[in-house]
Amino acid sequence: MSPSFDFLPSVKNREATKLLPWAMAIMVYLSALFAAGSLLLHSGFDEWASSLQGRVTVQITGEEKSAIMSEALEIQDELRGTPGIKSVRILSDEEISALLEPWLGSGNITDNLPVPVMIDLETSDDAYVNLDALESQVRQYSENVYLDDHARWLSHFYNLANTIEYTAFSILIMILAASICIVIFGTKSSMAEHKKTIEIMHLMGAQDHMIAKAYQNRFMIYGIKGGLGGLVLTLLTIYILFILIQNISEGLVEIPSFPFLTLSSLLLFPFFFAFLTMLTARVTVLRELGRMV
Amino acid sequence: MIKSLKGLSLLEFKNVSMGYNKGHDVLKDVSFKLEPGSMHFLTGPSGAGKTSLLKLLYLAHRPGRGEIIMFGRDVAKSPREELPKLRRRIGVVFQDFRLLDHMSAVENVALPLRIAGGSGAQINEHVEELLSWVGLKQRMQAFPSELSGGEKQRVAIARAVIRRPDILLADEPTGNVDPEMAERLMYLFVELNKLGTTIVIATHDNGLVSKIGAPRLHLETGKLLYLEGTRPPSEFLNQDGEFKI
Repeated sequence: MSPSFDFLPSVKNREATKLLPWAMAIMVYLSALFAAGSLLLHSGFDEWASSLQGRVTVQITGEEKSAIMSEALEIQDELRGTPGIKSVRILSDEEISALLEPWLGSGNITDNLPVPVMIDLETSDDAYVNLDALESQVRQYSENVYLDDHARWLSHFYNLANTIEYTAFSILIMILAASICIVIFGTKSSMAEHKKTIEIMHLMGAQDHMIAKAYQNRFMIYGIKGGLGGLVLTLLTIYILFILIQNISEGLVEIPSFPFLTLSSLLLFPFFFAFLTMLTARVTVLRELGRMV
Repeated sequence: MIKSLKGLSLLEFKNVSMGYNKGHDVLKDVSFKLEPGSMHFLTGPSGAGKTSLLKLLYLAHRPGRGEIIMFGRDVAKSPREELPKLRRRIGVVFQDFRLLDHMSAVENVALPLRIAGGSGAQINEHVEELLSWVGLKQRMQAFPSELSGGEKQRVAIARAVIRRPDILLADEPTGNVDPEMAERLMYLFVELNKLGTTIVIATHDNGLVSKIGAPRLHLETGKLLYLEGTRPPSEFLNQDGEFKI
């Protein structure tokens, strides 16, 4: 193992590598932001989808409120006697109003508005419920009954979420590739700047690993410095976005508390980038030195 | 080290030719042999190939053809991983000094020891002693930009000899110093030579060559002529340590 010896001069203002921590900060910021978006989307969607799992909404429409309510009561009784169904509950007018309020506005839901009656039913965890059979079963009580297990639009949502996740992942890969290119460029530029020093070290018997070590240590520090800066900016951005989303979506969607646990994996980003920077610098130096005698 | 090489040549060139970028050969079919503990001058007009020969000697280049046997290995074909260890056995005084501008005189001289993994206190003691010897005791912390040409040259020489190399190569080592310092530095080279270091000094200074009287490797348009010295190395200095003129 070659001894460690930082023979490189301290960074001067004109050196290209002086900008490297800034470049790394931006790269960590972007990648952590995309990763955080992807993670939050994933966990949020999973949580939401699992809350809809095993739930079916029965909707009964009609002109006459009292008529559809009596049909709803009959359907409720019928469903309660059906195997595989855990609970059946007719939503109250207040509950339906609360669901419509974000879309129609407070106080706009009048009695003459043809609001359907809705039944929320929960199937047993281990039961398979044939939705078509169930619909035929309840249709004997009303022609205007619709069953929805959310599967169709949930699958569209799954596709959208997957596409967003894959896109975020591709962007992450591109950011990593760009980071590697920046480090290669920075390393080569620094080697050109210190060509004389490297040549002298080389001629005095310094092994390639000794020269590479000086570079990798220095570049690792650039990576950590930039990475930590980028991470702080990312967390700040996510927090601000989180507060904004919370304010905008109040009442529309239930927003959980700030996802510290989900985002804790982002803490690894600066160290991962520092390692990547260190490794790239080392490989670049060794390859460049390999061209010398 | 020298003992183990007894009976073997320390360095041997066998029909070595060298050119740059596939151009014409600047060294043509050069063959010579250096015994351990020998001292030679490398002479010849500008453009004769002295610098190219030195580059081959300090392993900065590989020859186009031929063999270079150094420390018992053919360095022309040795894998590059082996070369750093061999380079550590060679001290070089470059004509343009090649001091590291961001390091002080003492740090520059300590460089070969640090590369070899030497420890701090031992290095400093050794380096300060040598810098005092070359008359730079008061200039140890000075940076190359603060040193005169002669001072830089002395730092470069101290750096080349600090590890007591097996081979010392010097390119015009007395070119920038006054006659008194030149004599002092030559004394250092001769003393090192007496301790067993093989020395090759490239120079244009015919006065110096005839004063020391060591054999010459003389280059003319890339071809080497070996010229015997006027006296054996043991006679370079008198009993008082002065040059015999």
